[in-house]
Amino acid sequence: MEYLVVRFPRSRRVVIDGEFNGRANELIELEAGTYTVSLGPPANFTPESRRIVLKNTSALDPKEVTFDEA
Amino acid sequence: MRPRRAALSTILLLFLLQACAHYPINAPLQSYVPKAGYRFDNLTPGEGNTDAIMFCLTFSGGGTRAAALAYGVLEELRDTTITAEGASRRLLTEVDCISSVSGGSFAAAYYALFRNRIFQDFETRFLRRNIQGELAGQVLSPANWFRLISPYFSRIDLAAELYDATVFDGKRYKDLAGGARPFIILNATNTALGSRFEFTQDQFDFLGSDLGEYPLARAAAASSAFPFLLNPISLQNHPAPPGFSAPPAVANALEDPGTNPRRYLWAKNLITYQDKANHPYLHLLDGGLADNIGLRAVADAYTRGFIRRRINDGAIKTFVAIVVNAKTAPPEPTDLRRAPPRIPAVVMKTMTVSMESYSFETVEFMRSLAGNRAQAQQDVAACQRILDARCPGGERLRPFRSELRLHVIELNFEQLQDPKEREFFLGLPTSFSLTNRQVDCLIAAGRKLLRASSDYQDLLRELGGRPQPGAESAAEFPPGGCKAPN
Repeated sequence: MEYLVVRFPRSRRVVIDGEFNGRANELIELEAGTYTVSLGPPANFTPESRRIVLKNTSALDPKEVTFDEA
Repeated sequence: MRPRRAALSTILLLFLLQACAHYPINAPLQSYVPKAGYRFDNLTPGEGNTDAIMFCLTFSGGGTRAAALAYGVLEELRDTTITAEGASRRLLTEVDCISSVSGGSFAAAYYALFRNRIFQDFETRFLRRNIQGELAGQVLSPANWFRLISPYFSRIDLAAELYDATVFDGKRYKDLAGGARPFIILNATNTALGSRFEFTQDQFDFLGSDLGEYPLARAAAASSAFPFLLNPISLQNHPAPPGFSAPPAVANALEDPGTNPRRYLWAKNLITYQDKANHPYLHLLDGGLADNIGLRAVADAYTRGFIRRRINDGAIKTFVAIVVNAKTAPPEPTDLRRAPPRIPAVVMKTMTVSMESYSFETVEFMRSLAGNRAQAQQDVAACQRILDARCPGGERLRPFRSELRLHVIELNFEQLQDPKEREFFLGLPTSFSLTNRQVDCLIAAGRKLLRASSDYQDLLRELGGRPQPGAESAAEFPPGGCKAPN
């Protein structure tokens, strides 16, 4: 499995491939692959979504994706 | 002459009518509604079910042998209490999902439909019946001769009718007990794709079909349509309903075959159903051809489905998968003979060898998934301890939403300690007709194997579980024992 951290200044639900799946600033465990990552409402963040390829990560060295508050 | 001609005309008419027999067509889906239909997320936990424990059972194939073994495990779970969220509960009420194949699908579907009634009448309605003989009776009945002439009606449809009338009371997926867990995943095999096909609305969405209207009996028949003996169950691949398109996960997986071929194959199999022109129908055989222990459905849900989302959301604290595997290993005389085995024996061996190897690898795959998570949690915790000691007040590592305890438990006859008992069970036939004694032995074996499992005992310790008073003797074999003769 692979590991992802979505950075955002607040706690917020993470949306992966259109479904809620984990929370910002915590380790999210997923199988390897390409994903579309976004955040749950309210829509006060940029960018709208990010497309990532998840591979060769570990729990200590996860892929990091950052969203900013709009 | 006239009465004779009239009689002949009547017979001819009956013949023509019967020869028009057709299997029931699965209903089209009028509209795509993700919040409706038979999906895990649309079920309530059910009374006494603790959301924090994700408890899945898998029931293997193996005819009545598999169903009886699974039934014994259900009995043992019913007679075991745990303490969760400050209350005493039966472990059986914690079961959230059951994935099943072939014979195991009868126990899974019956429990999901009728709940505790299974302990009153499943033995008489299924386990102790000569289903095989009854099926043969249906095939030989003159009433069915002409129906079987039709190319659109076969023995599997007669079997489904028998199961519908005598086991499942005509129930459909929409009748599954009050919309509560356990979520059952009956598995079949798509003959064209060679892939696992599951009876869930998520799968039926791709067929543009409404699973709610589908009879449980036909799903169980598809799951147990053993090649050579029974024909496949056929489904129509309807046009996609308004509003349906492949989920983003499928589209992303298809665009990236290299990073994760397993995810790509999952998406490719699903998307094939959207090619309505080249796949207007699909034909389903025994689920054992794709996965004879039913664990792949749980592994898929763990890696990318409803279990994964709940783990990442922190809803699950304990994950349990109990694999009830009724595989056998009859005495193998091939190596005692000078002459090579004949073609029928080779054909049977070809099927079972790959099936058993795949089952073994699937259990190991599930164990490795669980082990990886446990290792990742340990790594993060250990590094955090070192950081705290050497850099107090520094930035903290990103934690998992919640720590997860994982238990993957397999039960099979090889685990029986007594060699003669082991030989007895490993030599049982794959059939829908067993003797009462064989059924008694199998039910007791289900309970006994579960109790003897050290992994299961670890789980009970963690959950504060214990057998209910009076249930201690239920795991004993019947008087005379269950041993192979000397």
